[in-house]
Formats: sequence, structure tokens, C-alpha cells
Amino acid sequence: MDDKVTRTRAGAIRFDKAGIVYPNGVVGMKNLDLEIRPGEFVVIVGSSGAGKSTLLRAINGLNALTSGSIEVDGEPMPKGEGRGLRELRKRVGMIFQDFRLVKRMSVMSNVLIGRLGHVPGWRSLLNLWPVRDREIAIKALERVGIADKAWTKASDLSGGQQQRVGIARALAQEPAIILADEPVASLDPVTTHQVMKDLVRINRELGITTLVNLHFLDLAREYGDRIIGLRFGELVYDGSAETVTDQDFEDIYGREVNEDDVLDEDAVQG
Amino acid sequence: MSRANPSSLPAKPARNWSLWIGVIGFLLAMTIWSAHGIGFSLADLVCNIARGSRLLEESWPPDFGFIPRLYEPFMETIFIAIIGTVVGGLLAIPVAILAARNLTLGPLIWFADRNFMNILRTLPDLFWAMLFASAVGFGPVAGALALSVFTIAVISKLWSESLEAIDMGLPEAIRAAGGTWREMIQFGAMPQGLPHYVSYALYAFELNVRASMVLGLVGAGGIGMILKTQQANFEYERVTMIILAVLIAVLIIEEISEAIRRRLT
Repeated sequence: MDDKVTRTRAGAIRFDKAGIVYPNGVVGMKNLDLEIRPGEFVVIVGSSGAGKSTLLRAINGLNALTSGSIEVDGEPMPKGEGRGLRELRKRVGMIFQDFRLVKRMSVMSNVLIGRLGHVPGWRSLLNLWPVRDREIAIKALERVGIADKAWTKASDLSGGQQQRVGIARALAQEPAIILADEPVASLDPVTTHQVMKDLVRINRELGITTLVNLHFLDLAREYGDRIIGLRFGELVYDGSAETVTDQDFEDIYGREVNEDDVLDEDAVQG
Repeated sequence: MSRANPSSLPAKPARNWSLWIGVIGFLLAMTIWSAHGIGFSLADLVCNIARGSRLLEESWPPDFGFIPRLYEPFMETIFIAIIGTVVGGLLAIPVAILAARNLTLGPLIWFADRNFMNILRTLPDLFWAMLFASAVGFGPVAGALALSVFTIAVISKLWSESLEAIDMGLPEAIRAAGGTWREMIQFGAMPQGLPHYVSYALYAFELNVRASMVLGLVGAGGIGMILKTQQANFEYERVTMIILAVLIAVLIIEEISEAIRRRLT
């Protein structure tokens, strides 16, 4: 059991000269060297097409490297869809811009999907979830504050609530790492801040390594500990969120930063 | 009335008249050629229409006294259709999933399954009826087996295509959570695909009720067999009664399944 706890607490990621060239010739990642320590809260910024999603999806093997290597907690990325990759994905929760919930199912059923990797196949086939896994799902819902919605149909929730279900599903995996791919891009400003705060709080409380793709620079500054800037698949910035300047952002984007790049327009510094 | 400012819109592209004339001309030529090929002649049709009306006169009124004797073969037809739909509908599930490019297990399996589906679909249901009749003997069992194959062909073709159009975001999320292929199908694809499946299964049932009557003509049991006997005995008023009963049954079944399908979407 101790072993499991330490594994849950870990969540180190290491890219070594990693590269991804898509079949159509587009370069998604170029010669990336990057080390992320367990428990870090990293925000990834860059204009669209800069390779933010590619980077996240490489960590759970949704995108395969075409050169170099990735290690998660010292273990190399398993090759091909199989048991090895499933074991890795069990420990990596993912949150999506479009939530990706089963709309016609209850919130509880959706969160239990996070337990798929932990229960035998016959149990998921028959929807017979062990009490322990149900409790984990309920705890995950409590952590994002929507346990009262457990039996509501996912489609009946607001956008912000649906994204919380998405977070709870990731938490139910008891992951070492959470990857959030533009988690607030479909939300309104108020909900955006609530969801970002949830992510930060969970990172602090549980020590889960968290990587968040964002395109709003003020959000990156406000919530990130460490900011990573990507441009054409290359790492062009890596530093603390406290010291990042507008000039740095302009270097990352390769253009002037304007009010379209922030959620709250007042945050643009004259 | 104000008209759109001509300068704000680019010039409207000219209609392609030659294409229209070409398409219509081609269809017309094909029809005339085909009619000639089967020896169709309007003059013959007009001269002989009286013979057709004599048949209609002999067939009227329908022999309502025949209804009690229709009950048993009629129910047999329905049973054949139900068995065919249930058995074929279940077998169609894996066939359709493996034939959907986005869900299949690999290019080889996809290719094999796709071809299997094509073979099932290309061979007519009458062929299957005769094949199974020679295997298990003439009767309703052969009919039910033939319709099972027919149902696999219908549902797998329609459903595999609508499965290919589902949003792959959710299946990917299941994969990302460490789910297996089966779990990806069950939790990612089925919530989107199931309403279509039910709709196609109901449609297959409608087709099967109709087809099981035709299959009766070749000895696969059901009401088709009675129809054939009565026709051979020149009992046209009974034939009319059978056709009328079938018509009503098909209309009722269509209404019911249409009502269910409306509720699905």
C-alpha cells in the first residue's frame, strides 16, 4: 500500500530531444528537452498550432513521438496500444476543452469512468462497481463541490459544472499527473476563474503534477507557478510566472500581445 | 424596394445549362434503351389493360370468411420476422463495429469484415432462404435463418456508416483514462451509436415482416405459403384478403416503429 501512495505522490515527466512530425508533415514538437518535477503546476502558452496540445497528448501516449523519448517517473513510454500504455494512462488524468462526458449518463457514472483502469473488465462490462471505487468517485465529486449532483444527468448541468465533472473523473483515477487541455476555453469568465482555482487547489492539496494549456495570458500569470512557452513546436520560454514579462509573451507569440490574448482586458499593461 | 447593392456581391456564377441538359438527356436515353430492351410497348399495355381489370374483378370482394384460417400462418410470419431481427440484430453489433473505420481493431480485421458484409448484402434473401431450406428443410426455421442473415446485412451496413460519423472525443477520453478497446466502445461509442442502432433494428423488423412473406413463396413458412397455394387454386378473393391483411399489418408495424424512432431523436 505504501508503494502505491508514493507512486501517487510522484509524477515526474522528462522529455529528452522529443519530436513529433505528423503524417501530413506538420511539425508538432521539435527537439524538446523539458523536465517537470512532481507536484509542479505548469501553464503552457503559445498561439494556436504552437504544439500545446501535442505536448500534453504526448505525455499519455495519445500522440506518439517520432523521435527522442519521454519518461514518466523514470519509465519510458510503452510502445503501441496495450497493457503497458493503459497502466501509464491510469496514472494520468486528462481534462478537455469540450468536457467529453457521456451526456445521457449520470454524473456518478461519468466519474466512475475514471475507475475503468482500476477494476476488472467484467465489472465495467456489467456496470457493477465495487464500493471502494464508488467511494473514490464520491470523494472526487466532493472535492470539486458537486456531490449533490451525483445522480443528475450530465447534459442537465451548466458548462462549469460539466467541467467539474471532468475534473472529478480525472481525480477518480487517483492520478499522479493531470493534463488539462484548454480546460476553460468554453467557459464564461466567472466560471473560468472557479475552474482554474479548483485546479490550483487540487494541485496544492494532493500534490498532483498539473499541466494546463491556456491561451489567456493573464490567467497564465495569475494561476501558473511555472510558464512554458511554445512556438512552432519548440520550447521558447521556460520560467516563473512571477517574473514573466509582456516582452516574453510577445517573444512566445511572435507578435504584439493585445486584448484578445487576455480574459480581463484591464490586465494588459500599457 | 431596395435591391442588393450590385457592387457588394461578386457576379453570380452562370448556371451550368449544358450539364443539366446532359444529365436529363442521359437519363432519358437510358430509360428508352431499357424499355426497348425488355420489349415494353405502350400500345400493348393499352390493348391488354382489360385483361388486368378482369383479374381485379375476380379478386373482389375480399373473402373475409378466410380470416380465421389466416391467423396461424400470419403469426408464423411475425415470429419469423422477430427471430430474424433479434438474432441478426445481435450478430450485427460486432460486424458493424469492426466495419467502422474509426472503431475497428486493425486494418486487416476491418478489410475482412467489410468484405464479409458485402458478400452478405450482395446475395439476395431468397438465396439464403433456399440455402437454409436445403440445410434444415423447408419451413419457418429456414425462413428465420435467412432473415437473420438479411438483418445482419441491413443493420451492419447502415450502422457502421453512422458509427463512422460519431464524435471521437469521448472515445478518446475513455482511452486516455486507461480504458480498454471494449470499454472505449461501451462508454465512448455506444452512448452516441445506440439510438441509431435501435432505429435501424426497427427498420430491419419492418423489412423482415415484408420479406418473410416473400420467403413463404419459396417454402420458408408463414403467410407467403398460403398466398402461393390460394393463387395456384385461382382463389383470387382469398388472395386479396391475404394481401389486405398484410397491408394492414405492415402499416401498423410501421406506425409503431415510427413512433418509437421519433422518441429516440
